[in-house]
Amino acid sequence: MNRINPLHIGILLIVILAFFIFQLGEAKKELHETNILYKETLTLSTQLVGLREVYGDKNAIKKSINRILNQSSLKSANIVKKVTSTGLKISSESMDRGALNSLMGKMLNGSYNIASLKIKLLSDKTASLKMEIKW
Amino acid sequence: MFSKFNKQIDTIFLDKDSKEFSIKERVNVIISPSLYWVQKVSLPVKYVREVYALLPSLFEDTLPKGVYSYSAYKSGDEFYIFAYDDKLILDTLSHKKINSSQIKNVYFAQSELSFIETPVKIDEIQSLYVKDDILMLIPSVWLKENSDLNLATLTLSKHKITLKQFSHLVNDKSLYTLIAIASVLLVLIATEYFITMDKVSKTRTMKEKLFSQHKLKSTMFQNRAMLKKLSNTHATQTNLRIYMGNILKIALKKERYLSLVEVKNKTLKVEFIGVKLGNESRIIKELQSKKVPFNSSVKDELLRLEFKL
Repeated sequence: MNRINPLHIGILLIVILAFFIFQLGEAKKELHETNILYKETLTLSTQLVGLREVYGDKNAIKKSINRILNQSSLKSANIVKKVTSTGLKISSESMDRGALNSLMGKMLNGSYNIASLKIKLLSDKTASLKMEIKW
Repeated sequence: MFSKFNKQIDTIFLDKDSKEFSIKERVNVIISPSLYWVQKVSLPVKYVREVYALLPSLFEDTLPKGVYSYSAYKSGDEFYIFAYDDKLILDTLSHKKINSSQIKNVYFAQSELSFIETPVKIDEIQSLYVKDDILMLIPSVWLKENSDLNLATLTLSKHKITLKQFSHLVNDKSLYTLIAIASVLLVLIATEYFITMDKVSKTRTMKEKLFSQHKLKSTMFQNRAMLKKLSNTHATQTNLRIYMGNILKIALKKERYLSLVEVKNKTLKVEFIGVKLGNESRIIKELQSKKVPFNSSVKDELLRLEFKL
């Protein structure tokens, strides 16, 4: 009676089989969830990288704003620029209509995070400007 | 000193008519001729393993309908072949109060007791008797003289058998087919399981690579929050540019000016001067046609518009 009964081997195999079927089901579920998470991460990272490059690249924003402010059409506007840790502030006590149009055209066509803005008409041809750009 | 290891195992003789046994330790069991069929045959084969394939057909005509196991051993040039019903023997053991766990080995009376020269009495009714090398049961009353069966000094042979507990439920062929199918399925399913786990591991590695490649924060929660913040900023800035574009496209009459543009707390405020109460409708209609949501008010020739960004 000491010899291993083939039926016991059969039952053992079926138990192991049932175990692997269960484990396979769990593994498939895990793979499905991992795939979903991967796809979400891929979409999120693509969007995040894109938006971060537009609104969060401090050096690129600084360089771009400097290029705009160094234009000859804005020299007469006496624009003051102040850089802080979270962004930069631009202000002019008085600037003519042409300079304002030029500056605002470039600012609105560029991808800057304009957190605050105040343009106030001073006379027919002049206006004051305060603007804060954040990164 | 070695008594524990060299413990003598008792041997019992099992017959359908045996009395109930009262045993506490494992025993060897010799089964009575009433529990098996035996033939002494001469076959044109050399080895016992070659005989096994022939056993069902050799017993075909002698056995009643049922499920049987077979056994054989060689003695000289001849073979002793056996057929037995596992369930019948197990049921008999059970009726005699012997569990299968209490059985050490099972032997045929033929292989263990065929040496007897004179009839041996197993109880008042039956005796063992050898005729033409075959051990058989005969009624004790036929015999004038017989001796008692003494198993204490018996040395057992190597011709033991293994009883199959479920042979009446599943025959060997079906069982081996089942084992083969289960083995193949097991290999396939286990392979698929390991492949799936490998895919899970690779996908996780790819995800981790995305994190390091794009310098993402350590948790998805942080990244989702960051994306939400940047998406809101993007939506606000897009709206600001759309609304400013619409405002700057408005053609103003003489003596009407855009006097203030202010962005604060995600709100765009615009003021026009020179707009009398009742004359503001053209500007408002023009903005409404662009489907831009806003609030408006006029006071002292000042038209105030407010847009939520």
